[in-house]
Amino acid sequence: MLEKLDRPWRIFATGLSFATFGLGGLALRLLFFPLLTLFVRDPKRQQRLARLAVHHTFRFFIGYMRALGVLRYELQGVEKLARSGLLILANHPSLIDVVFLISLVPNADCVVKASLANNPFTRGPIRATRYLCNDSGPGLIQDCIASVKAGNNLIIFPEGSRTPLDGNMQLQRGAANIAVRGPCDITPVIIRCEPRGLTKGMPWWKVPERPMHYVIRVEDDIHVSAQDAEAGEAAKAARQLTTRLHDHFLRGSQEHVGA
Amino acid sequence: MTKHELFERLSAILQETFDIEPSRIIPEARLHDDLDIDSIDAIDLLVRLKPIAGQRVPPEVFRSVRTLQDVVDALYGLLGSDSAAA
Repeated sequence: MLEKLDRPWRIFATGLSFATFGLGGLALRLLFFPLLTLFVRDPKRQQRLARLAVHHTFRFFIGYMRALGVLRYELQGVEKLARSGLLILANHPSLIDVVFLISLVPNADCVVKASLANNPFTRGPIRATRYLCNDSGPGLIQDCIASVKAGNNLIIFPEGSRTPLDGNMQLQRGAANIAVRGPCDITPVIIRCEPRGLTKGMPWWKVPERPMHYVIRVEDDIHVSAQDAEAGEAAKAARQLTTRLHDHFLRGSQEHVGA
Repeated sequence: MTKHELFERLSAILQETFDIEPSRIIPEARLHDDLDIDSIDAIDLLVRLKPIAGQRVPPEVFRSVRTLQDVVDALYGLLGSDSAAA
């Protein structure tokens, strides 16, 4: 009987999670951020507190989804994120990957899809945190480098969009260009989700047969040397690094959860 | 400089800067779809073309460019307008 109810429950709980997420975004925008701008004058401090608020909200949200039984998760190596000025690159199996990563990083900056800056539920937080938008043109690479050098932990999904269900992963070269031209070392994060849910091209109510099980593994840094950019070989180096990252993420994401 | 010479210079730049195999470098090749030149590469390319054009290449000139032949034509136009002015 309980087993029979499990799936309908998770469909309901997933819908509830979406609703909570949207309302949370609205509440931050209409209540919290106006108060923040009222009581904190310094824009730098406003931004820092806004990012911290999103971090804690996402932390709560992940715990909430776990309590509802929508997902389970394991974390590995997250102590490596307790540094500053990191370029954090992750693969992108599901919709809530960024929620996980920001819940683990208090001083996160990230590159977000420009349309989210106009969405009523996500607009408030994205503007208040001054996360970088992906439509800002050629200057984006330099903005990203500046963010890392300023001590933020910049989170990017080099795939740009979620991995399709067939596992055919394609990486854009922007993230590698940031690493090469910074230069910035890379802190790779492998996100695995089994069974896969909240994927691209699948409606949210098609919940998988079991609760999603996430394993998030922070790996050792990949060192990026300054030589290539200095020798004017940045474009080539970014191509090679992208190939290397592609192989790395593909191998990492195909290991089985629990193996 | 003839269009042929311009194409040769462009070909050399594409090989050196982006490691593109010479066999793929044909006038009809599309920068984005065939040669995988993204917006970041395009900026690098403009910088490398500057010595050939003898001037900063305005990004507007490149907005309508799709193929390598379009690049050559745009460069040729820039050089032509220059000598006409002089």
